[in-house]
Amino acid sequence: MSTTTAVPEARILKPLRRGAPRWLAWAGYGAVVLVVLIFAVSSSAFLTPGNISATLNQAAVFAVAGFGLAVVIITGGDDVVNGGIDLSVGAVAGLAGTVAAVAAGTGMQPPSAIALALLMSVAAGIINGSAVAIGLRPLLATLAMMGIAGSLNLVISGNVKVPLTGTTFEWLRDGRVAGLPVAVAVMLLAFAVVGLAMTRTTWGIRSYAVGQNPTAARVAGLNPVRYVFVSYIISAALAGVAGILLASRLSSAVPGLGDQILLDIVLVAFMSVVFSRRLVVSLGGTLVAALFVAALTNGFTLLGVASQWVGAAKGVLILVVLAVVAVRGRGTAR
Amino acid sequence: MTTDTQHTTNPRDDNSPDTSPGSRTTPPTSRISGEPRRFRADVVLPRLIAPVVLAGILLAFSALSPVFFSSDNLLGVLNQAAILALVAIGMTVVVRAGGIDLSIGVALDLAALAAAAAIAGGYRPWVALTIGLAFGLTVGLVNAALIVLLRIPSFMATLSVWFIGTSVQQLLTGGGAPIYLQKSQVPDGFALWGNGAVLGIPIPLVFAVLVAAVVYLGLDRTRWGRELTATGEQRTASRISGKRVSWLAVSAYLLGAALAALGGVVLASRTYAFIPASGQLYVMDAIGAVFIGATLSRFGRASVPGTLVGVLIFALLANGMNLIGLSFFWQGLARGVALLVVLLLAILLTRTTRVPVIPPALRRLLAPSTARS
Repeated sequence: MSTTTAVPEARILKPLRRGAPRWLAWAGYGAVVLVVLIFAVSSSAFLTPGNISATLNQAAVFAVAGFGLAVVIITGGDDVVNGGIDLSVGAVAGLAGTVAAVAAGTGMQPPSAIALALLMSVAAGIINGSAVAIGLRPLLATLAMMGIAGSLNLVISGNVKVPLTGTTFEWLRDGRVAGLPVAVAVMLLAFAVVGLAMTRTTWGIRSYAVGQNPTAARVAGLNPVRYVFVSYIISAALAGVAGILLASRLSSAVPGLGDQILLDIVLVAFMSVVFSRRLVVSLGGTLVAALFVAALTNGFTLLGVASQWVGAAKGVLILVVLAVVAVRGRGTAR
Repeated sequence: MTTDTQHTTNPRDDNSPDTSPGSRTTPPTSRISGEPRRFRADVVLPRLIAPVVLAGILLAFSALSPVFFSSDNLLGVLNQAAILALVAIGMTVVVRAGGIDLSIGVALDLAALAAAAAIAGGYRPWVALTIGLAFGLTVGLVNAALIVLLRIPSFMATLSVWFIGTSVQQLLTGGGAPIYLQKSQVPDGFALWGNGAVLGIPIPLVFAVLVAAVVYLGLDRTRWGRELTATGEQRTASRISGKRVSWLAVSAYLLGAALAALGGVVLASRTYAFIPASGQLYVMDAIGAVFIGATLSRFGRASVPGTLVGVLIFALLANGMNLIGLSFFWQGLARGVALLVVLLLAILLTRTTRVPVIPPALRRLLAPSTARS
């Protein structure tokens, strides 16, 4: 808390900046370019079209689910313990994949199987949103939902891998839209839709307002609860989309995968802070962060680094991100 | 039942002094002093939910399974719950200090790993305990450094320690291979911690009860505990009033990690093994138990007795579901629903019980004002 005395002075001098040096806004991009360059130099396979396509494919799942989590964090405020967080994204993604696989396995048409899976996801989002709207801490509400969705996943799948076959799902895995893999196209579409909605519509701007200062938003006549409620539904729906993409890519729904991808989704959403000029959670930043994490995982694999180190690298990454957030000077007066 | 009758009779004499305009200065003082006979439904009812749910679970499973309410089974449940209790008590301290510790499972795992490896290497039990606790404390130290020195929010700091700790675990075990100890080669002194009994009471349970008592007294009866609570709730105010907020936070994260580490050593001793990533199962339950327990407090404050109620809810639920033959697949669902129900009811009761109290008060408030005008 030693900087508390320094921050007010800095505010008087430069009222609009919150203590973060200007170069920091570009440091994140610099790190990405640096890492990509290192991989490109040390592994000849890294920049081949096939590998780039695979990396983008890997990034798609985390990016799509990350967009949803980013919306929740933007609308709920980025203070983690009391602000917006959705811990159930991983479990809901896993559940959506399993529901789609089991439904398709029973002979349901792929579009209706996907619709059913998304319906389940939205239902989870409605429960999350209602619990938070009633006044439960998001951390606890979504923690409970994480347990419920994870458990439902086990019950529905019987804790075995459920194969996901059918031409639709194979198209999701191998097909191409305008030269891009379908998953990547879905990622870009989700980015365009959610990104435009958050930055170009009244609803999006108001969501930002609610997240940054709910009291001010209420005074200004907004109903914060409504925006928060919707944010959890968006998050759950996008998690469902991500889960279907993941299950299609693996050609099966693997139980227990939801818990594993949760950490990556949280990492991607919070890392977006580094890629935004104002150092806040953003959708564009989430996209870059997802690509970066996927490139990192992919590059490590190409270099033959043991997979155990990737987790450590991600942990260190979060810490670097958070050191940046600490530089921003947030939370000094709490 | 009793609460209902009290709540219908009492609000009248509860609110009459508040609403008479003449005596406006007296009621606040009596409310602050908190006389025990003053009953307010919106304050008391939410606090009864967790115990009522616990009693409901006890009753329901007693009716469904004849074995459930036997002393043997209940002792077994308590023994099973002991490790979760240790972890959750550690979490209680951290939450009381205003943080959260997601890496508590890593502390548990690393302690179990170190203890199991030490026993496998032929070291004496007390060495294994010391090494285990040291590994756990290392995690606590890293947390404390990140949170206190770098001022990273506790959720994110401990989340990244979770990542790193999982990696470290895999590296130390050569990619996540479990360590199994030969029962014959495990010294009795080590096996005792997880499997022994004193006067018929399992030793893990003895540990949990002792730790619960000590931490309860520490949090609620000592200066350290009061300062820790103040720091958790009003950090800036505590700092300004001269409390050593940094050291208090450090002590909370170290204590949390140490208790989780003790749980890890007991787990290794009980299972004669180290199974990677077994600690993560405890993290979410511990958080759930702590916040279920927080509904017992009028201020939503985490406390050791409350946490134990939460732990018992989870433990009895798991045991009862096993006894009536529901597969473990359903247990996450039951826990999630229990957590949601308790917390939501606490919030809803806090809100809605004001409704039957307010209308007569409103009527009386309106009456004098209309008479005056």
